[in-house]
Amino acid sequence: MRLRLLVLWLAVGLPLAWGIYETLLNAMKLFS
Amino acid sequence: MKTSFLDRESTVASVGFNRFLVPPAALAVHLSIGQAYAFSTFNLPLTKLIGITHQDPADWHATDVGWTFSIAIAILGLSAAVFGRWVERVGPRKSMFVAALCFGGGFIVAAIGVRLHQLWLLYLGYGVLGGCGLGIGYISPVSTLIKWFPDRPGMATGMAIMGFGGGALIAAPLSLALMEHFRTTTSNGVVEAFVTMGVIYFTYMMIGVINIRVPAAGWRPAGWTPSAVSRSMVTKADVLVSQAWRTPQFWLLWGVLCMNVSAGIGVLGQASPMIQEIFPGQVTASAAAGFVGLLSLFNMGGRFFWATTSDYLGRRNTYFVFFILGIVLYCTVPSIGHLGSIPLFVAAFAVIISMYGGGFATIPAYLRDVFGTLNVGAIHGRLLTAWAVAGVLGPQLFTYLRRFQIGHGIAKAQAYSLTMYLMCALLLIGLLCDAAMRPVAERFHVRDSGKP
Repeated sequence: MRLRLLVLWLAVGLPLAWGIYETLLNAMKLFS
Repeated sequence: MKTSFLDRESTVASVGFNRFLVPPAALAVHLSIGQAYAFSTFNLPLTKLIGITHQDPADWHATDVGWTFSIAIAILGLSAAVFGRWVERVGPRKSMFVAALCFGGGFIVAAIGVRLHQLWLLYLGYGVLGGCGLGIGYISPVSTLIKWFPDRPGMATGMAIMGFGGGALIAAPLSLALMEHFRTTTSNGVVEAFVTMGVIYFTYMMIGVINIRVPAAGWRPAGWTPSAVSRSMVTKADVLVSQAWRTPQFWLLWGVLCMNVSAGIGVLGQASPMIQEIFPGQVTASAAAGFVGLLSLFNMGGRFFWATTSDYLGRRNTYFVFFILGIVLYCTVPSIGHLGSIPLFVAAFAVIISMYGGGFATIPAYLRDVFGTLNVGAIHGRLLTAWAVAGVLGPQLFTYLRRFQIGHGIAKAQAYSLTMYLMCALLLIGLLCDAAMRPVAERFHVRDSGKP
């Protein structure tokens, strides 16, 4: 059950983290 | 009768099931359908399908393409309202599966429309079919999450609805990367990107379909008992969807959601030109795109933060914060513009947009407090018509008032001041609706909803 929990949260967390990273990179232009 | 994998009976969780498996299942659906907020990345390429590098006279116009998103959002509200009762009846797994078919299939039909250069097929595919996927997908995990987390309903629904905000953060770079990958001298890659995204999103939504579970009847979190202390705005009774929309509370909450969304959505649509015009020469188009990205982050974060906070503050008080703080911030934005402070301006709008997102994420828990859990998904579906109305009202009011002022000789940088005060007026109406909220009269309650 713990492994399933980890895999599921990674499945949604990793794409979201990538999206946040890309957005933050873009947002940095506002203050550069 | 034999039950299929998709039936509600097949989704009842066994003893010992960890309820924290349910939020990522819901997130898989919401992160997918949240792509809708990033559809604008296709707008320009869709107007150059024939010319490829330039707009050919035979190419579609930007206004025609722009209707695709509007149709999708209108159908979202409509399908959530129409299919809400069906979603409650068949359960989350079947409704998520249908949402995945509609949303993924919508991309495929839209790709055929783009390949054949038939605009009506694009509208039918992404707008109508995809819009049904958006509406059904949006409401399908909500009541399940509320039942799994009776102790923290705001946090649970906030987590899922945060996904709808976060979906755009993934879809925007993904769409650009796919179009770049499939670009050739004779194609700008839209068809291939649509097909790929249809397959990716269908597959990703299936993660939710496979892993979603409903709690067994009478299930409660270990060690948790419903509060014995009666809270005036939290009912222990249930109201059927057929009765709910006859109550003044439904329409007051409709007003609360509509005003909160109207005040935020107008700004979101015009964020890029607004910051460039208020700070001419200081903010470039590229920096303005960064501002839009930052607002998307706060839109997403606000959904989780405010919905979770509402579990402690109470729903009515949370909306009081949205409306009062929103009015204060909108009133001070013109002064911040005059001061020329970009960081203060960005900070003010970051908070405003976080409350816009928070309004979406807190409403399911507010509905549960007022109408009970029995039909909360279907009632939520009907309430989402407020979103469809706000989607037209907010941007139209915002752009009309701005154009009206510029037409009367007001400088572009100053033309936003009156618009901000109009947003204050919308928030004031929302505040009055929230203040008028009272518990639902007993005559609307279900006599026996099977509760202990």
